[in-house]
Order: sequence, then structure tokens, then C-alpha cells
Amino acid sequence: MEILDFIRENFDQALFLTWEHIWIVFLSLFIAMITGIPTGIAITRNEALAKKVLNTANILMTVPSIAMFGIMLPFLAPMGWGLGKVPAVIALVLYSELPIIRNTYIAIKNVDPALVDAGRGLGLTRWNLLKEVEIPLAIPVILAGLRTAAVMNIGIGAIAAYIGAGGLGVFIQQGIARSYEAMIITGALGVSLLAILVDSLMALLERALTSQGLKIQGRQ
Amino acid sequence: MIEYKNVKKVYGEGETAVTAVNDVSFKIVQGEVVVFLGPSGCGKTTLLRMTNKLESVTSGAISVGGRNIREIDPVRLRRSMGYVIQQIGLFPNKTIFDNIAMVPRVLKWDREKINDRVQTLMELVKLDPEIYSSRYPVELSGGQQQRIGVARALAADPDILLMDEPFGAIDPINRDQIQDEFMRLQARLKKTIAFVSHDIHEAIKMADKIAIFRGGQLVQYDTPEVILTQPKNKFVSDFVGADRALKVLNLIRARDAMNKNPKNILRADTPCPEAMKFFSEKSRTSAIVIKDDKPMGYVTPRLVKFEEGPVSDVVEPYQVFVEDDEPLRDVLSSMLMDSMTTYCVVDENGTFKGSITYQNIQKKILELYEDDTD
Repeated sequence: MEILDFIRENFDQALFLTWEHIWIVFLSLFIAMITGIPTGIAITRNEALAKKVLNTANILMTVPSIAMFGIMLPFLAPMGWGLGKVPAVIALVLYSELPIIRNTYIAIKNVDPALVDAGRGLGLTRWNLLKEVEIPLAIPVILAGLRTAAVMNIGIGAIAAYIGAGGLGVFIQQGIARSYEAMIITGALGVSLLAILVDSLMALLERALTSQGLKIQGRQ
Repeated sequence: MIEYKNVKKVYGEGETAVTAVNDVSFKIVQGEVVVFLGPSGCGKTTLLRMTNKLESVTSGAISVGGRNIREIDPVRLRRSMGYVIQQIGLFPNKTIFDNIAMVPRVLKWDREKINDRVQTLMELVKLDPEIYSSRYPVELSGGQQQRIGVARALAADPDILLMDEPFGAIDPINRDQIQDEFMRLQARLKKTIAFVSHDIHEAIKMADKIAIFRGGQLVQYDTPEVILTQPKNKFVSDFVGADRALKVLNLIRARDAMNKNPKNILRADTPCPEAMKFFSEKSRTSAIVIKDDKPMGYVTPRLVKFEEGPVSDVVEPYQVFVEDDEPLRDVLSSMLMDSMTTYCVVDENGTFKGSITYQNIQKKILELYEDDTD
């Protein structure tokens, strides 16, 4: 087996590239999460703003990734960040914003108005209501958005190797340049397995964080 | 106490402005249940929601306990009032316990006090805490959910309850039961309650006073008896229905219509010949036999005719007794299904209080409608 031989011979590098890949993807996911979720919640209070934010995020996501890296180059180059991890992380953050903001927005919007009315009528503050009711009810949908973003980022992260960001894309890119099949397949398999693994872990997280009451409701 | 003074609510501005509540003034006295009644769009719900500032007041003033609500922070105001809505609105992500504990928790009560309070409230609404406190709302029936809705509203022991068609989404059989339970609860708790309804039956049953609204205006504010017997105009009389005489029967108890000193009474030890003499002299066709203040049954001339012993030997026992707090509607219903024309009214111990006939009922109704016949 040529692939196993390749992995055995380049084990340290494979491990490092995997680690690098995970690191880029999760750093960007984290940044997108701490910006995207509050944004998604904030725009539920302002319809006009919501439209603008969602449209912008939508446009950002339609830009092909290679093009995105190209567009950012002239802006970041003066600061010495034209290539490498910085533009990669920025691009991944931008791509993640749409699924995260959109899912958060929809999830909060979909909370039954009667619950909000009951909560307000009982004397809960906006913050009480958000923390105790709206966010817990929105969690499954928000996490689904994060899951989409994570899986997508793992794929786009592979392309970021072309701008020198590292990660498992390096095997694919260099393998293609050298017509080295085992190398390409190792990179490709690594990225795919990583995506499947992360997807499953996020599914588990989704289940763990969903209220028992909602699960019973879902079964009925 | 809640006081509405020239309260007005206008939605929108200029040409498209809609007046939802128009110059409404009345008072809800401490400890009374006032039902806001009217067709949809009459402003009753808007007025209720203005009371806890879920809607703003365009002009006029609402005061609670003598203070204009304008000066009270909305969150504090709402925490001093319970709020129950038709859609129930239990938080599906929280257990029954946590739903009830919601307001005490944001009020930072200590844990022990919250536990005790939730326990007490669940017993009050007749749901066993052992069984239900760790369940989720979705596992309960609609009626059970609304019991929890009421418990949640009572959690911080507010003086005032605002209820927006609370039993409107519950099926008729359970609705009746939950209304009865709620009235028993209210008899103990004596909260000041503003209760929105579009159901005249519910209003008659629950209300100390009914406020009837139409097109944002208060049409009549009075006790159910007065609303039924002296409707102010055609709108009110149409709204309460052509059968308002029957509805009023629900409000009157047997003790209010009965004959307190019926003449056709015989003691249990009266000898039969003497009873026979009583029948022929007073030209009566039946008599109630009383023993130790308790009605035994009745005798007729046919039963005592050829007997020598006391009437207690031949007495025919009553199948049905009317309790003195039974509504006339139920008494009349029994009469319609039964050949009996005279019923004995007893108190809860079975002591004889009086007798009641069709004529007594009719007389009572006519008395109530006296002012209404012109």
C-alpha cells in the first residue's frame, strides 16, 4: 500500500498539518461564533438592519474561495498579511458568518410569540428572557448553523494551502504539482475524515445541549 | 385596587389611526373578580395589556394601589401582578418546577423558600408535586398546563392577577372543572382579578362584576345579576342572549327562592287520622314529614287514609334533596325530569331549611325582572 507507506514515512508532517488545519478552522469558527451569534440576536430587533446584514453575508458567501483570497491580497499585503494564515482565517470567518447569523436570527425569530408575551407579562427582563427562554430554545438551530460552518470551513481550509496557510491542503496542492498520487489521496482523505469527525462531534454536542423538554416535544 | 381614568389607546397616527380603547373609566375593588367582556376587537384585551404596560397608555391614567403606573418601572409592575394568557405560554425547555420558580428566581428568593412555594402552589392547583414537578410542559394535558400557568402567575404571591381568556383554549368539559377549581382558589386567595373573556357563561360564573365593552368603549359595568336583569341597551341584551332569564338562574341559590316557612309540615309522630284531618281542612295534597329537624319524606292522603299509627310508618322517602346553595338552574332541571313538584331544601348537615316549587322559582325571577318589564 503506497498510501500507508507515504503516511508512515511522513507521519510527523501529516500530524502537524492536521493540527494546523484544525487550528485554522476552529480559530475562525470561534471568531465567527462570538461575532455572529450576538449579531444574529441583535438583528431580530430590527427588521431593516436584518435584511441588510443577511444580504451582505449572503453575498460574501457566494464569492468563490480562491477569488476571495485574491481579493483580500491587495488589502492585506501592505500590512504584510497578503499570504499565510491571516487571510485564511479572515476568509473562513467571513464564510462562517452567514450560516451562523442566519440560523441564530431564524431560531430567535421562531420562538413562539406567546412565550415571549408570557415571559414579559410575568416581569422578565429582556436579558432574563433571552437567557432563560429564547437562547435555550434556539440552541439546536444555532448549533446546526455552527455545524454547517465547521464542515464548510474544513473544505475551504484545504484550498487555503494555495495562499500558504498550511493545513492538510498542503498535501493536495504539492501532490498535484508533483503528480504524486499517494500524497494527494492522503491529503484528501485527511480532510474528508476530519470533516466527518467534526460533523459527528457537533451532532453530539447539539444533542447534549438541547433541553430535555424540547426532545420530548420533538418525539411527539 | 385598579383604577382606570379616561383611559385611551390609539394605534397609528393621522388618517390611519385606530382607537382601540376610548375614554374608559372604572374601578376594580380589592379582592374582586372583574370580567372584561365583549366581542373581539372591543378593546378588552388591549385594556388588560395596558394594565401591566405591555401596551402603552395614549392618554388618561391607570393606577394600581393608588399609584399611577406611569411612575412604576414596567418590570417591577409586572412582577407585582400575575399574568395568565390563553396560549398558556409555559416555557417548553423548563420543567414544571422551573416554570413555576421562574419569577421567584429572578426575584432572588433563596432556594428553600422557592422549593416550599412551588410545592404549595402545585398542591393548590391540584397537581401532585411528586409526579409533576420534574416533568416538561409537553407531557401535560392542556388543562394541566393551564393549572401550572395559574400557579406560575401566583408564584411571587401578587395581589393582582391579569388573565387573558385563560380557559379559552381548554375543551368544554375540562374548562368547566378548571373554572370551578379556580373559583374555589379565589375564594381562599381573594386576589384582585381582571379577567378577559368573550364567553357570557364564563363571565356570569366567575365575575363579581362584569365590564361590557363595545368598540373600545365601556357600555355597562355592573354585577352579573344587574347585567342580566337590567341590560342598559340593546347591545348588552343581545350580547347576554335571549335566554338571560335562564342564565340568571345560575346566579340564584335555592335558599334565595325557597319558601322558608312552608305550611304543609307534619311531625314524624303525628298520628295518621290527624294527618288526614290536616289534609281535608287545609285542602292539601301532600305534606313534608320532619323528624329531628330533618326531612324524612312526604305523605299524601292516599298513604294515610286507612292507617292508625304515626305518619312515620307510612312516609314515602324523598329521592332527591336540594342543598341550599344549589343554583336554581339545577333545581329546575331536576324538576323538569321528575314528577316531583315540591323539593325539600336542606343545608350541608341535612337539616330542613324550607321547600321549593316551580312557583317559588318563577316568583323570584319575576322579582328580579320587575324593573325590566317596561
